[in-house]
Amino acid sequence: MFKARLRTVVAGCAALAMSALLLTAAPQKAAAETVDDIISRGKVIIAIDTTTPPYGMIDEEFQPAGFDIEFAKLIGAALGVPVEFVTVTSPGRIPALLTNRADMVVSIFSITAPRALQVNFSIPYAGQSAVVIAPKSSNIKSHADLVGKKVGLTRGTGEDGLLTEAAKANPGIEILRFDDYASLLQAMVSGQIDAMGGGDYGDIYLKKSSNGEDFEMKYILKTFYFGVGIRRGNPDILQWLNTFIFTLKQDGTLERLSQKYRNTPLPPLPVF
Amino acid sequence: MPSYVFQFGPILIRSEELIHGAWLTIWFASVSMVLGLAIGILGAVARSFGPRWLSSLVAAYVELIRNTPLLIQLYFVFFTLPFLGLKLSSSAAAILALSIHLGAYATEIMRAGIQSIPSGQIEAAKSLGLKPYKIIRHIVLLQALRAIYPALCGQFILQLLGTSIISAIAAEELTAIANNMVMQTFRSFEVYIVVAIIYFILVQAFSLLFQGFSRFFFRWKT
Repeated sequence: MFKARLRTVVAGCAALAMSALLLTAAPQKAAAETVDDIISRGKVIIAIDTTTPPYGMIDEEFQPAGFDIEFAKLIGAALGVPVEFVTVTSPGRIPALLTNRADMVVSIFSITAPRALQVNFSIPYAGQSAVVIAPKSSNIKSHADLVGKKVGLTRGTGEDGLLTEAAKANPGIEILRFDDYASLLQAMVSGQIDAMGGGDYGDIYLKKSSNGEDFEMKYILKTFYFGVGIRRGNPDILQWLNTFIFTLKQDGTLERLSQKYRNTPLPPLPVF
Repeated sequence: MPSYVFQFGPILIRSEELIHGAWLTIWFASVSMVLGLAIGILGAVARSFGPRWLSSLVAAYVELIRNTPLLIQLYFVFFTLPFLGLKLSSSAAAILALSIHLGAYATEIMRAGIQSIPSGQIEAAKSLGLKPYKIIRHIVLLQALRAIYPALCGQFILQLLGTSIISAIAAEELTAIANNMVMQTFRSFEVYIVVAIIYFILVQAFSLLFQGFSRFFFRWKT
């Protein structure tokens, strides 16, 4: 009995020692669990993507810039610590959190239920809508108005799925799929298509149609909301982030960022 | 080495779409082959026997088309012509650009064939009192076509494969449908393998067809 106990204790100690060794051998990982951990460590590590203008990009001085980057810097400023950026690609966002390479992900991280099984989301700090765009004079308010018209979109985007569904439900909508946004834009500007699926911001709003008209957003297909992603089970950090985002929303900072980078107001940001 | 698990199921379920895409490819290829050959024959005749201004005009056309990429020609017809008042649908623009493209190559190939006819034959036909139209049709063109037939078929096959880029102006064909499938199923490896096989079969079928034509049209002995 006692011997068995002793053996367990010894084995336990050995296991502890082993894991301690492994831990020290492993590279220093950011595993902050509370806001205090982050502050006492002296830096907040935030994962960003610099290939998603205007949210994340590289500026003329080869520094990260954009909506998400400026927002991430505000987080650092509010915590009173410098921000260390880690660059990720969009499929790398969840792994960056799960492997402790970052405390937070600020990278057009759309809030979805399947993702929420793996990470916690803050309330949205920004949002973007997939919309239908057409010249000002054309009278388009819903899918029904697209019947008999040519609607362009970029193959494989969110708009593709949404408008393909709409075309199935409303026979007579002719869908033209382009391989890239530049071709889609060109088709819209040259009048080869009557309307297009796109984002609520973008170069299209700066162009004129073949008869000199401006383009405008006609109606919203779907709005995606971006939240800050953190590891699950850290309620202290989550609560702080939600509070912080609430204050930025109230004092107009988020709206200012949207105007600065997207040239268009933010959609209403619901909370949860 | 990372292992990859092939899953052809999600693609084969949608084989109807692929067959539809193959038909569209055949349609674009065939129509542009017929139009391109017509342009080629007329162009070569104009280049070889026409007045000087016409001959230089054809030469300029051939040089212009053969020295620019098909993709740019497609963009030009679809995106630029609307600014000049000519708005063509994706399919019409694709057919126009493909035909003009093939026409330039066919003109050069046909011209080579025409040059291969010994001038003595034309002189003999003239002295027999044949009208110029008949000389061109019976003496020159038929023999020229036979001489350049293999080269022409090669160009036709390139044309068939070249239709794969017309999705750039949103025309629907096999490659466009394949790209849609890739975006929806994310099985790019499998989709492109299946599509490559379909293209291979199409080319083989066209080659057989061309052989059949040649047996039928070029039966005389040389």
